[in-house]
Amino acid sequence: MEYILECRKIFKSFGGVQALRGVDFTLRSGEVHALVGENGAGKSTLIKIISGALLPDRGDIFYMGQPVRIDSPRKAQEIGISTVYQEPLVYSELSVLENIFLGREIRTPWGNIDWKREEEQARSLFASLGLPHHFLREPMGELSVGLQQLVLIAKALVYEAKVIIFDEPTAILTEHETERLFTIIRKLRDQGVGIIYISHRLEEIFRIADRVTVMRDGEVRGEFPITAVDRAKIVELMAGKLLVEEIARRGVKGDHPLLSVQGLTRRPRFFDISFDLFPGEILGFFGLVGSGRTDVAQTIFGLFRPESGKVFFDGREVSFGSPEEAMQAGIAYLPEDRKVQGLFPIQSVAYNISVAILRELVRRLGIVDVRKERDIAEKHIRELNIKTPNLKTRVYSLSGGNQQKVVLAKWLSVTPKLLILDEPTRGIDVASKSEIHNLIAHLADQGLAIMVISSELPEILKMSDRVIVMHEGRITGVFEGPEKTAENIIRAATGERMAVTGGVGV
Amino acid sequence: MTNTGFRKVLRRREFTVLGLIVLLVVLFSLTTERFMSVSNLSNLLLQLAGTAISAIGMTMVIITGGIDVSVGSTLGMASVVAGKLLVGGYSPFLVLLSALGTGLVIGLFNGTLIAFGNVPPIIVTLGMMSILRSLMYQLLGGRWISGIPPAIRVIGLGKWLGVPISMWITVVLIAFFTYFLSSRPLGRAIYAVGNNPEAARVSGIDLRRTTLFVYAILGALAGFAGLVYVARTGIVQTNTGSGFELEVIAAVVLGGTSILGGRGTIIGSLLGAFLVGIIKNGMVLLNVPALSEGLVVGVLIILSVMIDVIRARGERS
Repeated sequence: MEYILECRKIFKSFGGVQALRGVDFTLRSGEVHALVGENGAGKSTLIKIISGALLPDRGDIFYMGQPVRIDSPRKAQEIGISTVYQEPLVYSELSVLENIFLGREIRTPWGNIDWKREEEQARSLFASLGLPHHFLREPMGELSVGLQQLVLIAKALVYEAKVIIFDEPTAILTEHETERLFTIIRKLRDQGVGIIYISHRLEEIFRIADRVTVMRDGEVRGEFPITAVDRAKIVELMAGKLLVEEIARRGVKGDHPLLSVQGLTRRPRFFDISFDLFPGEILGFFGLVGSGRTDVAQTIFGLFRPESGKVFFDGREVSFGSPEEAMQAGIAYLPEDRKVQGLFPIQSVAYNISVAILRELVRRLGIVDVRKERDIAEKHIRELNIKTPNLKTRVYSLSGGNQQKVVLAKWLSVTPKLLILDEPTRGIDVASKSEIHNLIAHLADQGLAIMVISSELPEILKMSDRVIVMHEGRITGVFEGPEKTAENIIRAATGERMAVTGGVGV
Repeated sequence: MTNTGFRKVLRRREFTVLGLIVLLVVLFSLTTERFMSVSNLSNLLLQLAGTAISAIGMTMVIITGGIDVSVGSTLGMASVVAGKLLVGGYSPFLVLLSALGTGLVIGLFNGTLIAFGNVPPIIVTLGMMSILRSLMYQLLGGRWISGIPPAIRVIGLGKWLGVPISMWITVVLIAFFTYFLSSRPLGRAIYAVGNNPEAARVSGIDLRRTTLFVYAILGALAGFAGLVYVARTGIVQTNTGSGFELEVIAAVVLGGTSILGGRGTIIGSLLGAFLVGIIKNGMVLLNVPALSEGLVVGVLIILSVMIDVIRARGERS
């Protein structure tokens, strides 16, 4: 038996859409096999089939050399295939112990749950992963997201998983948590577990994977040992064409700062933040999760009150008490979590685009001008190239990239002067990402001041005219021109205070 | 370590409710003469039994994130069935089975529509409340049932060691279901379903069966409470049990069960039932107009859910 898991000629369609067209995928025990592809490439469908959430239309799955029919998530778990999802699926109110054993309780002869033996087993599991285990009796909700994910890995091991699927596990982890996760994945691999690893972050794949399979349009476009491929090749296969990582800017930076922040402080999130932002400029904010970037942005936007410091906007000192005031003044903020803060998923595309300007669309007697609403929506759909069947399509049915464009359109409809973008391309496929980058550049060229917060270094390097790096609530570096290098930014982000160069007002 | 453990106990809702109960007991025994009398206290316990029994089931329903506003009508319907059979001279055992059965069937009906039909619980049970009430009217034809044989009334009125028999039954049920919720896999699954249905589904918990189960149990318990009601009062009317659902939901919500699902204990609900019962009882003794009793209970429900929601918000950020 060469492979623990073998998928042969898997086909799956939804309605008229062919999601998988004869996909072959294999996994050995003791290897990390990365699966990459844009949204819509078919990797989620494949994973759902392997984890029992979907049945294939055609094709065979062999598990430990035998043909199997995986018809439910439960069945998958029972035969030893576990999935760790991007957002950990946890019971926040229940204890860590229950989260591990729910559905596979250890029982006493009476059929009661044997808490003691469960705890013993959990302890030895955690010890084998090199994790602390003092929190087994605490409610799951009190653990950090990173720890929750590790608990779910422990859960997979309780099910004696021989195959573990990681679906974008690092998307919400801090740097430190990511490192710990990698250590554990390597440990699992060395213990003979077969691991399927899905991520949009290609750098990670080169660090952790042994093999990589690239999918596009429901087909496998290539499968390589990781040592036989490079980033450019993978991106090329994913996108179908090589994406240019440079962005053309016309450079029309204004003379007077639109936004000027002086000594802004809100303990313990950030301290003494000062910077200027000019019309037509893209200012990148880089830092690890928790470095305070988002807090600064949200404070400027009026979601929080600063303790001290001044904000000047458009030539006068401001202190926004609420997001509404900030919006009135001409600031738009595109939040990090588009599902929670940015979209009304079951409403139409048109509704989502116009919801922020409903007041302006009102005609006599308080009736919304539907035609005007439609015109505005159509204009943005055209300009942002939003791929939607029509205006009435509900937003949840669009792809991640197009959903993000809808959020962007919503904020552009208020015609802001300052646009704050918080992780604008998180979890979005490569092609949409590139499209959004071009859009942002285009907006800046039209004279908008733009603040981009991102955890992705390539994005920051590509987009920003100037980069501010934060670490633990403080600015540790400002880089512009030839100083704007990956090495400089990483050094500042890890806490090394850099000589401040270029720019104004720091 | 013990310090944090003790603090956790202090922070629990059950402790707050217990504190409130003690406060009210002190208040009412100082302001009224009759509150602390044996007859009043045993009367209080008699009235509480039905609420507490139904609250056991309601706790489980609310933990799954559901609600059942038809419990009052279920209790009423079961007491009509029990009353008719008792007056007809059927054996107490058969009557017990019929009361339980009536409640069970209603609960299964609710549960099926909610679990398999995906109809929101509030709508299913609101409809059921109205349907049952009109059925009761049909069955009773506007008349009362009275003349319940004394033999059965021992369930409602009898005492053992000075405590009403209905209260003893309540205690046994509470002990059993507390054990069930804390130590049996199905009991724990109820919390899982309410806390994170998606995760529960992926862990192989049968959402539908769990949902059906909690509504069925609540129905059966409300049916039993109906029998206890008949045995205590000796009378069944068309409006028997109306408003009872509010009392039960109040008890559960005050007792710390989260209306958002995933959290709650039966002991908490029992304390909640005591709190509501004592407030009602004390206000009667103080000669406060009956209207303000509903006012106080209503305000308490809203307040405790507000605390719940604010707490959930705090945990998310």
